[in-house]
Amino acid sequence: MDFLELLNFYVIPGIVIGSIYALGAVGITLIFAILRYAHLAHGDLATLGAFVALAVVSGLGVSPLAALPVAIVATAAVAVGIDKVFYEHLRERPKIVTVMASLGIALMIRSVVQVFWGVDTQTYVRGIVRPEDYFGLRIRDREIYTVLAMLLLVGALQVFLTRSKWGKAMRAMSDNPNLALLSGIDNKKVVVLTWVIAGGLCAAAGFFLGLNTELKSLMGWSMLLPVFAAAILGGVGRVEGAVLGGLIVGVAEELSVLWIPSEYKAGMAFVILLFMLLVRPTGLLRGKVL
Amino acid sequence: MEILGLVNYALFMAIFIAIYALLALGLNIQWGFAGLFNAGIAGFFAVGAYTSAILTSPAAADRIGGFELPFVAGWIGAMCAAALVAWPIGKICLRFRSDYLAIASIGIAEIIRLVIKSEPVLTNGARGISSIPRPAGDLGYMESQAAYLVIVLAVLVAVYFLVERQFNAPWGRMMRAIRDNEPAARAMGKNVEYRRLEAFIFGSALMGLGGALFAHFNRSITPEAIDPMVATFLVWIMLILGGSGNNRGAILGAAVVWIIWSVSEIATDRLPHEYAVQAKYIRLFLIGLMLQLVLRFRPEGLLPEPLRGDRRAAPTERDRS
Amino acid sequence: MKTRFLALAGGLMAATALASVPAKADVKIGLIGGVSGPIAAMAPAMIDASQLAVQQVNEQGGIGDGEKLVAVVGDSACNPQNGTDAATKAVNIEGVAGIVGPHCSGAVLAAAGSVTIPAGIVMITPSGTSPEITSLEDKGTVFRTVPSDDYQGRALARTMKDMGYEKVAVAYLNNDYGTGLANAFKAEFVDELKGEITQFAAHEDAKASYRSNLAELAKGGADTLVIFDYGDGSGLTMLRQALENGFFEKFVGGDGMKSEAIISELGAENLGSFVSSSPVGAKSKSLDVFNEAFKGIGGDPDAIFATTSYDAAFLMALALEKAGGKKEGVAAAMLEVSNGEGEPILPGEWKKAKELIAAGSAIDYKGAAGDHNFDANGDVPGTYALWEVGSDGFELVTEMK
Repeated sequence: MDFLELLNFYVIPGIVIGSIYALGAVGITLIFAILRYAHLAHGDLATLGAFVALAVVSGLGVSPLAALPVAIVATAAVAVGIDKVFYEHLRERPKIVTVMASLGIALMIRSVVQVFWGVDTQTYVRGIVRPEDYFGLRIRDREIYTVLAMLLLVGALQVFLTRSKWGKAMRAMSDNPNLALLSGIDNKKVVVLTWVIAGGLCAAAGFFLGLNTELKSLMGWSMLLPVFAAAILGGVGRVEGAVLGGLIVGVAEELSVLWIPSEYKAGMAFVILLFMLLVRPTGLLRGKVL
Repeated sequence: MEILGLVNYALFMAIFIAIYALLALGLNIQWGFAGLFNAGIAGFFAVGAYTSAILTSPAAADRIGGFELPFVAGWIGAMCAAALVAWPIGKICLRFRSDYLAIASIGIAEIIRLVIKSEPVLTNGARGISSIPRPAGDLGYMESQAAYLVIVLAVLVAVYFLVERQFNAPWGRMMRAIRDNEPAARAMGKNVEYRRLEAFIFGSALMGLGGALFAHFNRSITPEAIDPMVATFLVWIMLILGGSGNNRGAILGAAVVWIIWSVSEIATDRLPHEYAVQAKYIRLFLIGLMLQLVLRFRPEGLLPEPLRGDRRAAPTERDRS
Repeated sequence: MKTRFLALAGGLMAATALASVPAKADVKIGLIGGVSGPIAAMAPAMIDASQLAVQQVNEQGGIGDGEKLVAVVGDSACNPQNGTDAATKAVNIEGVAGIVGPHCSGAVLAAAGSVTIPAGIVMITPSGTSPEITSLEDKGTVFRTVPSDDYQGRALARTMKDMGYEKVAVAYLNNDYGTGLANAFKAEFVDELKGEITQFAAHEDAKASYRSNLAELAKGGADTLVIFDYGDGSGLTMLRQALENGFFEKFVGGDGMKSEAIISELGAENLGSFVSSSPVGAKSKSLDVFNEAFKGIGGDPDAIFATTSYDAAFLMALALEKAGGKKEGVAAAMLEVSNGEGEPILPGEWKKAKELIAAGSAIDYKGAAGDHNFDANGDVPGTYALWEVGSDGFELVTEMK
């Protein structure tokens, strides 16, 4: 097998899928770090984002990429709303209670998607898109968009977290909540901000998953486990770690068929994760140990 | 007819509740008493179900097993197999704290599911194993259900008393000490790793038993039964909603959640005929909403953990994040 | 005049037969399917097709003495836990006289083992393809309108060989449907017909990318990819990625791939090299009749398993009519209404069937998905045809043997 083939059919698809995982994993890792629980409704929130974009595309007839901002804003609003209505009053309780609540939210979001948009498999744009040839590399335009958008969004987030006042507040909350509260950081605003960011990235993940394949009502739920693996792999609380984790999981899944039977492809994310936890329990980039 | 139907439905629900109660009790040992976040219940459930299926079903041509042993041997085998699988997993993974253990155990359960689906020689692959004998299965519909319920209840009661006794024994106190303040327990000279492993294996064996009871009740086991939603997350909801750390809470939680799960369908069937399919989606919404409501108003569970010792005098909020 | 007299006589006879049943009640059947869960995309069309049969029955005189046939929908979520729960509720709370479904083999096995066989209720599944269902000790109460995977896999292998396919790669979904078809296909194509399968690989559902799988599959140099998967699930993703990246020249699918989603999402213009097999009623107009009727209520006849779902519900209604609306005789009646002997009944011909049953004549249902002559295990031999994508949906290429 020549090198180009390896790139075209294993590495590039892996990077594209990895970028989608990364978008989801960044949200997971932020919620993990600041609110300190595993948010199990993340996958279904991504589904919601994808379908909101579909509604915009079919309703207004705009191109899918133009629908992305709408989906991001809408899903971020939904995420904040869910937190206000359902999670907020559980904050003082053991975190496991919120984890269970998020499982219920996952069912509720899925139900809303199924009632409003039905259960048929759908796409943003009908038909197929053959890849362009760039010096032997075969890439579809939407794959470029996916990776670029991921880098752009995560880059912006990183700048926000390191440069802006509220970004610093979020990091402080993540590092030492007691100290952060003592120094006068408004906990409520940080939480809202976390949900805005997580919800928005979630919508982007769902959107690009739908753009690259199809939209199904279970698309997010089936993505949840690899996304969690990616977040932990990168180190909890580390945004760049989540990106790295997502890319590694994506590429490893695609490469795995070279060595193991393809029915075990879905287990690849976990094999890497277990190995990582054994040799380096804090994740690739040193995250926190919860 | 109507009454008989209701009785049959009640029997069926009771059997399912008892089976799920076993899973919830197993989880209660791991989470409620040892603080181990096992999110791979489905894996142990599957190991138990398949072990018992292989031991008790009639011989088949293209897979191992079909030993036609009596069902008791199958159930004991299921517990042993689940414990044996739990041992190396616990050995490796219990050093991870809380959420890491959760994701590691989810991963292991998924890998177990893939192996079961993909190795026909071991488990008949995706087709699953059928013609598993049900104890007292030759009786009529209702008699057979009633007889099976008696057996399942007997198992559940025995397990309940065993677990309850352990919890109130010094062992239980030690486990709670490890859960609530690990450094202190370690300083007292307790072997924390070993005790955790003990709780993990014990709980997993119960989950294996639950899986075996499930397989024998349905007379079949297929990979579709190991779906994380119905075999892992549902049990978690039951335990948290019932009250983790309380064995009666775990059983009550199993009953309440399964009744919500099952009866919600009857409720949504009242919707007009044209919406028969949509009603099923709305049912999921209702289940989610009920869960939110219970968590909102009883966040510590329906039956909270009984306060013991000096906590009885001065209850404190326990933080387990 | 004569027919009306016959109908009257039939009605009277049915009335006397039903005299023992207290009051005039609706006859209920359960439609249990994987409405939520992994096959959520397929289930609504299957339920709708079954509802069409129920609707036709009620429009043309109902069961027995004009009693309404009522369908109760249950959700099996494609797993045994919910499948047995839904079946128990249908049997005991709703008091159904028979069950059409569940859709997934695992739910069929569990619901049969713990509910319908002990309760003596007839179950007829439109899509449970697992060979394990054949060997159930079911006291003759479990039927299916979809042939066991073995028939289709072997028929497809023979037809492909005849059409000149020599060297193929096989990709199948790792569940009972995919593995069953793939193994039957392999046994016939390689062992019997001496064809060559270069790669033979399973894949998991719901992954976002199958390009590496496809690259592996393409390695043996085959120009044809045989896909045993669902056309609105991972089968669609796989076919899309194969077309986009230029893997393989020709594509062949099982009946799960003959889905409207394939055409609506990928576009007919891209599918010139795609054929798929699907069950068809041999030498009868049954399929056309069904297609017209299903389009009439806004359904898409190309939906996966729509024909078998319709047939299952219609057969259930026929058996109920024959058994006088009571669940006890349904199992025996099921074998009588479709055994290849008697006056042929096409989809929708409820009135004719009702009159013939009333007159005591033998009838033989010729379904949209085949003739459905049940064997001793409640299985049906399949009659399949190969379909290609034309400008106007799926078009028949050739019948399969």
